[in-house]
Formats: sequence, C-alpha cells, structure tokens
Amino acid sequence: MTSSDHRRDASLSRRALLQAGAAGAALIAAPAVLRAQAPAVKLGIIQPVTGALAEAGELGRLGAELAIADINAAGGLKALGGARIEMVFADNRSNPEAAAQEVERLQGEKVAAIVGGFGSGLCMTATQAAARYDLPYLVDVGVADSITTRGLKNTFRMAPSFSMATSVALKNLVTLNDAAGKPAKTVVIVHEDGLFGSGLAKLLGTELPKLGFEVLETISHPTPARDMSNIALRIRSLKPDLVIPSNYYGEFVLLARTMQQQRIRPKAIYAIFGGAASSLRFVKEFPQAADGIIDCNHWHDPKNPRSAEIRRRTEAAGKSYVYNVPLNYSAVTLMAEAIEAAGSVESAKILEVLSSRDFGSGVMPYGRSKFVEGQNVSALPLNTQIQDNDVKVIYPDAFAQVKPVFPLKA
Amino acid sequence: MTATDLLRPLLVVAVFAVVPWLGVSNATLNFLVYMLIVALAAQGWNILGGFGGQYSFGHAAFFGTGAYATAILQVQLGVNAWVGLVCGVAAGVAVGLFVGFLSFRSGLRGSYFALVTLAFAEVFRVVANAAGFTGGAAGLLIRLEPGVATLQFADRRITCMLVLGFVGLGLVISTWLTRSRFGAHLIAVRENEQAAEALGVDPMRVKLGAIALSAALTALAGCLYAQYFLFIDATIAYGPWISVEALLAPLVGGAGTVFGPLIGALALHGLGEATKGIAGSVPGIDLVVFGVVLILVIAFLPGGLMGGLARLAGRLRTIARGRRPAVEA
Repeated sequence: MTSSDHRRDASLSRRALLQAGAAGAALIAAPAVLRAQAPAVKLGIIQPVTGALAEAGELGRLGAELAIADINAAGGLKALGGARIEMVFADNRSNPEAAAQEVERLQGEKVAAIVGGFGSGLCMTATQAAARYDLPYLVDVGVADSITTRGLKNTFRMAPSFSMATSVALKNLVTLNDAAGKPAKTVVIVHEDGLFGSGLAKLLGTELPKLGFEVLETISHPTPARDMSNIALRIRSLKPDLVIPSNYYGEFVLLARTMQQQRIRPKAIYAIFGGAASSLRFVKEFPQAADGIIDCNHWHDPKNPRSAEIRRRTEAAGKSYVYNVPLNYSAVTLMAEAIEAAGSVESAKILEVLSSRDFGSGVMPYGRSKFVEGQNVSALPLNTQIQDNDVKVIYPDAFAQVKPVFPLKA
Repeated sequence: MTATDLLRPLLVVAVFAVVPWLGVSNATLNFLVYMLIVALAAQGWNILGGFGGQYSFGHAAFFGTGAYATAILQVQLGVNAWVGLVCGVAAGVAVGLFVGFLSFRSGLRGSYFALVTLAFAEVFRVVANAAGFTGGAAGLLIRLEPGVATLQFADRRITCMLVLGFVGLGLVISTWLTRSRFGAHLIAVRENEQAAEALGVDPMRVKLGAIALSAALTALAGCLYAQYFLFIDATIAYGPWISVEALLAPLVGGAGTVFGPLIGALALHGLGEATKGIAGSVPGIDLVVFGVVLILVIAFLPGGLMGGLARLAGRLRTIARGRRPAVEA
C-alpha cells in the first residue's frame, strides 16, 4: 500500500466520522426533522364522490382520512423509519371506466397500494386495471363474489362477500323467528333490479322456502324509483309477516315512508344490506318510519371504544354516520399494517404479506382478518335494529347491545 | 373517391398514431383509448344522425349488442375473441336493420324516431338485466389473459393503435359518404325526403343502409369497449350514457362532417381531463366544464367546432380579400 492510499484511507475515515457526527448531532438536536425526512408512503384512496353514489363515497373518503390522520399522529409507519402516509385521492365518479382511468393515474403517481372502490362494478374494472401492475388493491365494500373469485392476485376484500353475508343473514333470521315462537311465515321481497337486489332476490327465492318461509311475491323496481305507492298497496293486500327490502338509500326510505303513511305494519322489516336500514341519516330524518327496522349489514364492533370515537368525529365533521366510515377506516389501518409488515412499498412484498398472515381489523367485528384467495374469511356482517332513534346491534350475541324487538306491535 | 380524398383522414390518423410512442404515461394512453372508443361510437351515430338526419337517441342498442355479443361468445361459448368481434359487429347490424325497418316503415322521423330508438335501447337494457345468458345484473367478466389471440394487449400502445385503425376506417367511410352516390342520396333524404323521393331516391333503402353502417361502427365500439375493460353489465352496455356520448361528440364537433365526431370527442374528453388535472381537488369540476362547453357550442357554434372553424376560415378569407385591393391601391 502506498502512502497516498494511506492518506486517502485517512481522509475517507475522517469524512465518515464527520458525517456520523453530524448525523448524531442532528438526531439529538432535531428528532422531528429527521423523522420527517423518511419519504412519505403514498396510498391511493378511491371512492365515488361524484355521480349516483357520491354520498356513500364521501363517507368512505372520510373514514380513510381519519385512519391516515391517526396513523400519522401515532408516528407513521415505524418499519419504514416513521414514514408518513400521504393520501392520493381518486374519484371514480360512480362509473366503471372512470374507475379504471383513475387507477392508471394512481399507478402513475406511484402509490404503494389502493384502498376503496365501493360499488361492485366500480371495483371490477379498478381491480383489474391494478392487476396489470400487480398493484395491491383492498376492496372496501363491493360485495359481488366474482371480484375475488376471478383469480386476480392483487385483489383483496375487507368486507364479507355477498354469499357470506346472505348466509349469515338467513341464519340469523331463522334464529330470530325461532326465539319468538315462529310468528313469521310469509314473506314479500322488494328489490331493485341491479346486481345486488336481483341477486339477493333470486337467492332468497330458493333459500327461504327451505327454511320454512313462504314467499308470497317478489317485486322488483328500477333505481331510481320515484314512487312506491303501488308496491306498498300490493304489500297491503298480500299481508305478509315479513317484508325483505333490498335497495339503495332513496328507494329504501321511500318504501319505509310509504308503508308508514299507509299504516302497513308487518311483523318486521328485515333488510339485507338495506340501503338505509342502518343509516343514521334515515333515523334522524324519519324516526317513525325507521323505528324497528332490522338490517343485516356491515357495521362496526360496538364494544370497541374507538368506534364510538370515529362516530363522534364523523358527526363533528357534519356528516351522518354509516358503515362506510368504519369500514374504510379499518381497511386503511389494515393496509398500513401490511405495508409495515412488508417493511417496504414494493408491490410483491405487500402482496406476499397480505396473503400469508393475519391482521387487526380496525373497528370492524372481524377478530383477526385473514385473506384466503383474496377474501377476508373472518369478515362478518352484524344484525342491527333501529331502537330509540339509534342503530343498535342485536346479533350475534358477542356484539349485541340490546335485545331484538320482534315481532313489532301491530 | 380519389387518393387525394384519403389524404386528410390518413394525415389525422398519422398525427394520433405518433402520440402513444412519445413516452406518454399509461394514464394518458388509457384516456386516448377510451376517447377513441367514444369517437368510434360517435362516428357511427354521425352516419345516421349527421349525414342522414335521423337523430337517434338510442345508439346504446347497437353499442350494447356489440359488447354483449362478443362477451357472451367468449365467456359462455369459448369462441375466439377476433371471431367474437366480427360476430358482435354482425349482431349490431342485425339489430340496426331490425330497429330501422320497424321505425322507417312506420314513417317515424325527428323526435318520434329519437323516442323509438331510446325505447329500444331501454328494452334491451331491461332484458339484458333480467336474462340469464347475459349474466343478469351481475354482468359479464371476460378473463384477463393478454395475448394477440385473446385481443387483449399487455402494451396499451398496441390497443391504442388497433382502436385508432378502426377510427381511421370510420374516417374513410365518412369521406366516402361525402364523395359517393349513396352519400349524396343520404344527404338528399336528410334535406328533404319527399323531394329526394320525387327525384327517384328510395328513402327506405338509403336509410336502412345508413342505419346498418351506423350500427356496425357503434357495435364495433362496443366490442372494443368490452375487450378493453373486460367487464360489462346492462347499465354499461345499454345505458343511456353511451347514447348521449355518441350524439354529443358529433354535435360539439360538427354533425355531418367527416372529422366532427373525432374532434368533438377529443375536445369534450380532453377538456374534461385537463380540468381534472388542473383543479383535481374539486370533485366534479370537469363535469361542470363539460356542461359549460356544451352550452357555449349550442349557443355560438350551431355547426359544431368544424362549422366554427369553417366560418373562421371563411371570415379570414374575406378579410384577406378585403385587404388586397387596399394594398394594391
């Protein structure tokens, strides 16, 4: 080794020492500055905030925002040096090709993963656009079974699928009826003619007779529908014990109000994914029409103290609380946990983690969430009933806040 | 039609064909593909509505038939995607002839024709939503398997070129209409059906020819839509959105002109996309711009953008002509 090499070694180590010293000084002097230097992790949040589904989308976005704020306030992603999560928001405009276009934009902005989507059709095109880049996509709501069964490796769903939810809903309906001494024998189904309403009606048409119920009639209507008088009159003449509606917010409210006006009072209104049946806006605006309605839907774990806090923050933001808020809150915390566990924003690592381990479920009553072929197999809908101007959980017992009122007084 | 007539369409296609290879982002490519699909549907509408003067409000019937036919053939029957595409176009033509025969035979014109086509599209939507073989309300998913045989390309630039090729075909057909006997008959029927008939034009035959050609292009757009987004349901395929898109683009661009539909689709969607980029944080701002542009065009440019350009060129020429004597003097 020559003397010049020696000199270089010496000067290098001196420089290294200086650098280490400076870094150390900075660490002591300004930890906040250092933390801020970890590059932010971009997370794509996609929701319909314009178009027909805008109201639900706004609430979904709020849920995601609350979660990101909480994660950042708690010190960001620790495995990535305290990196903050930066939300990149995309509006899928309630239409499927805009959803695909927005995914392209999110990919262009180099997001680590995408959470959200809401409607089934919106999720179909969005997950598939993301699949081209193996970009991890966690669906919040989109219930159509095919979203996860078509074998896209990047696609995961937080909430229960359609078939999971309906089997729980039917099981709980039988439990409810049996416990009250089987007062309900006849059913009228009222459904919207889209994916979720007609799918549900078809399923109920075959399953309910097996469980000992007689389906008197299945009535379908388009969305939007402006008048429910004829449907209400039909229900009045059929005199069913149960009415099972499956439609979106506006039509659900209209049906409930029309039935109230015409004093049609079945033994129960039992909704499955009811558009308004567990919406606090409906409860607030039409308390009498809403009273006693039972729903089987996505709902937060009422025993989790954080869920009450999220509801309070939603109302503080001037919004009415529905399941979109806690569900998206939880989906974002789950995705953050996955990125944390992957220790990286690389798609392949996040996908590996998502399909191999279990996660906390935020404020949803899912216990530990685990994905099998993309579907969260721990996901569970809850049965709620509107009692005392509030939405209360009645089933399953582990989460129940009140006893069900069934049958309703005539 | 001579070789010089083809020069302008080819030039326009060449300009569009360069864009994807300039290293643009996938988001831009995706936008371009979608815009070109809308333009193709609009070119279809323009043949019947623009050149033929038969304002249809239900081109969704053709778009949806193309989309459903190609999807059903692939998903339920395992037919090759290219064959599906051809069958989709054929099915669209069949529906076009069916709708056309029934409504033209009854002498429906103007708003009556518009309403009947709207009703047809709605009937198709309701049937597709309820029937089993269309996947009902759950819609149809085409499997994602990129490959030439499956007509899905991993590289969006290829898809873009393919759609652009079909748009070029639409331009050639439109140019042919402005130069051919059939096109002259069609325009004659638009201007005055009785007068055309008196001169020996068979309006029924001409209109049926136009609706078949129109349905073919719009059905082709439907096939490409299904093949690109790989998911359709009744509202996407037969919903009123595509009927509106198909007629808005020519109205804004210039109905009854060769380039109107393409220019209109580019202007409307390009502007929407640009405002989304600029005012991205305000949801729905692009839709506001969409509305404003539409109002402005209807109010100030009755001939659409192409008509406006022609008027502007005319005015410039007058000014130039007006000046010349002054210079000489």
